[in-house]
Amino acid sequence: MRYGLIVLVFLLFTACSQHKKVDYKGFSYYPAGQLIPENSGKGRVGDNYIYAPGIRFPLESAPAYINSQVYGVGGYLGPKGSLCDQKNYSYPWRDNYCEKRGWKMPLCSSGKGHQGVDIRSSTCEKKKYYAVAVEDGVITSIGKYTVKLRGKSGRTYRYLHLDSKTLQVRRGERVRRAQRIGLVSNNMGSTSTSIHLHFDIKQTIKIGNRSKSIFVPPYTSLVDAYKRLLEGNP
Amino acid sequence: MRYLFLLFISFSFLSANSGVLDVDWSSISKGIQQKPMAPFPKVLTKGVADVRLPVYLSKSLAYNKNMVVVADKNFYTISFELNGTTVTFEGDRTFQESVAPTNPEFQKIAKKSAPVEYNLAEGIMSAEFNRHGVNYSISIECEEPKRDKRCKEATFIQKLYRGLIIVGGRP
Repeated sequence: MRYGLIVLVFLLFTACSQHKKVDYKGFSYYPAGQLIPENSGKGRVGDNYIYAPGIRFPLESAPAYINSQVYGVGGYLGPKGSLCDQKNYSYPWRDNYCEKRGWKMPLCSSGKGHQGVDIRSSTCEKKKYYAVAVEDGVITSIGKYTVKLRGKSGRTYRYLHLDSKTLQVRRGERVRRAQRIGLVSNNMGSTSTSIHLHFDIKQTIKIGNRSKSIFVPPYTSLVDAYKRLLEGNP
Repeated sequence: MRYLFLLFISFSFLSANSGVLDVDWSSISKGIQQKPMAPFPKVLTKGVADVRLPVYLSKSLAYNKNMVVVADKNFYTISFELNGTTVTFEGDRTFQESVAPTNPEFQKIAKKSAPVEYNLAEGIMSAEFNRHGVNYSISIECEEPKRDKRCKEATFIQKLYRGLIIVGGRP
């Protein structure tokens, strides 16, 4: 009974603190699943599980900014302004996993949403900042604007919109954690997108005697990785 | 209340148990495991020689020598460059998390799962399916994702899916 009460108090406390911004040595972020604005979809608020523990942050250097490309300043559903607006290049971070999209996503409450998160590099300049391997692994495929890294853990990490011409890896290459993959850009084949890295994590979840490969929430893993990067221990 | 529910799920059901899935080799029908019309290209046979799960490729591409194979015993990725697209076939028998079969969220996901799920996201057309107890996917990425029909409509990927045959893999 006593343990039940403690758990209940803990859960209530955690639930109540969901909307509060967290400050960490000058870096600040909103908790997982808290999307902005209200009409941008429903995130997985309260899911603080770290799906890819211990990964390195996918950009080589800080600062970096996780926030929405669509609903941020200059985004096609965001406030008017430049994509390079300072608001897009400042803390706090905002999760954008499960942000409204027409794409099937079983872990989003609506069954549809964004498969990963969008990350802006330090400044609004393309082909300047490197994306790096988040763990040891092998580059399994390179598409028109996607690089896939299969980590030793078996997770597949996708890096989208890197500059194709300056990629530092080739298909089949074994890479080490923190090894450079390519430069953050706005590459989306012959069309272009905003300057950012789309990063997602796919892994297989065993459910009894069945299994399902699924894009899992990356935000909490990235918050954890970024704190280590800031501490100089990436 | 939803937050509490999600927290409950996060803390009580997910478990970072990783491992290798069992392959149900007995579920392979003769129709899928066709005798090759001609020897498969060496790049394919050599590339998947150690793979311990059935290796699927579309029949129309199985004899195309211009493929890149990346594989080890538990997974394979085979990709082709086809006139402005990158077509990728993947199979993987590892898992990184496990949940109790009673987990309500995953029960719902499992119930909703179709034999093959087509999806278009980030301009990439994909097909995901589970066969013999392991997970597979096909994906098509186009140089011109907004104009190329292969990345806008499911017709091409459905054709690739329907043409799948087993080209390698061993218990």
